[in-house]
Amino acid sequence: MAEDLGDGSTAEMDEYETLMSTTDVELLKTAWRNEKAAPEILQFQALLVKRAREQIQLVEETVEEFEGSGMDPLTVSLYQMDLDRAQFLLRSYLRVRLQKVTANSLSCVLQIEKYMFYIWKNDNLRNRLSEPEKIFVKRCINDMEKHIEETVLSKLPDNYQSARRQSIISEEDDMVPEPQLDTFVACKSSKNFVSIRLVDSERPLEMERHDVSFVLYKVIEDKIGVEIDLV
Amino acid sequence: MHGRLACRLVKEITTGEKGQLQPFNDELLNEVTKECSENFLVLQSLIRKMQDEGLDFQTTRNADHYGALINHLSLIRNKRCLMAYVYNRAEIIQNLVWKVGLRLFELPEEIQEKLSHSEKEYFNRHSAALESYMSKMDLDLNVDMVPPKDPYIKVRVLDDVGEGIVVSDKAANFARHSMHFLKRTDAEPYISRGLMEELTG
Repeated sequence: MAEDLGDGSTAEMDEYETLMSTTDVELLKTAWRNEKAAPEILQFQALLVKRAREQIQLVEETVEEFEGSGMDPLTVSLYQMDLDRAQFLLRSYLRVRLQKVTANSLSCVLQIEKYMFYIWKNDNLRNRLSEPEKIFVKRCINDMEKHIEETVLSKLPDNYQSARRQSIISEEDDMVPEPQLDTFVACKSSKNFVSIRLVDSERPLEMERHDVSFVLYKVIEDKIGVEIDLV
Repeated sequence: MHGRLACRLVKEITTGEKGQLQPFNDELLNEVTKECSENFLVLQSLIRKMQDEGLDFQTTRNADHYGALINHLSLIRNKRCLMAYVYNRAEIIQNLVWKVGLRLFELPEEIQEKLSHSEKEYFNRHSAALESYMSKMDLDLNVDMVPPKDPYIKVRVLDDVGEGIVVSDKAANFARHSMHFLKRTDAEPYISRGLMEELTG
């Protein structure tokens, strides 16, 4: 009897969680967490951001209406708090794509800002950006190039004046900062059963929903946001 | 000694406190670029010497070849050090744009003094780029930096902010040391500039 009850409630909980995890706020939270924890830039969630903004605007209007109509201030402030949180999430999501703060130090690892040269020359990465982000990156690159050119490169001998290559005899860009993808991340499966092929083992790693593992980023790279979320 | 000056330049970045700027070392930077030019001159003269001797530079492995190689490599190393110096400082500047303010005059004077002319320009251009991104998104991204616990916070004014500042339609007299109960989003710009502090607990 006790077992039955237990089973029943977990199934219900699962259903409830599945339902909850599909609300836009939860989706945005997940996208935000993924973006924060991934060592490289991820696909811009254009539709999600659009929906979130529409909803935020709706709540904003509602709050204003409430304030105007002399509604109970406590209720209004609860709405306001919810609104603030949603707004923080949205801002932080957009921000974290430009600039990532590493948890273990005061210094910032700038995402788009840091790897602008790398992202720009790689079509696959460039397409993960939103249009305004692309314009931003392009400007950043121009500004940085101009600054470096003025301060250093113009003072160097002819064959050594490229910002991307060490010298004229370099065959590829060998001065572009690249993100360190060969790194471990903590991840959690969002589906009931996920199997991950590991690099150094014959047996795949099997994860059930909510299992947390610590794996190499590149083995789960294409599963992020689909079967696996980063934590 | 090849590359010693450049090493000193890079050390200026690493010995300082993280995220803090040292004064821009124009002098040392110019000395390093001078060393680069010297390297290049030696490199060229060695290549010319080998050509005069009728040797193929690509295949000959004699003392002159390795002499040229060493000069080439030390030039590249110097270049990398110079770039690292400027680039790392530029990253700190990007950070200032985010954390302190979009306008150069919003930076404390101690910081402004440490920037080179080109760095100041870079600051302005980078903040303009960020601003235009924010206006395209129609959203200020440089406020709301910490997750909000409460929509209102208690702040103390640390400096003469001046009168006539309007926050959320309400004008208040922000005299020094006065305390206020403000909306977090209104107070944040002032807090990041060190004009107000948040009172906790």
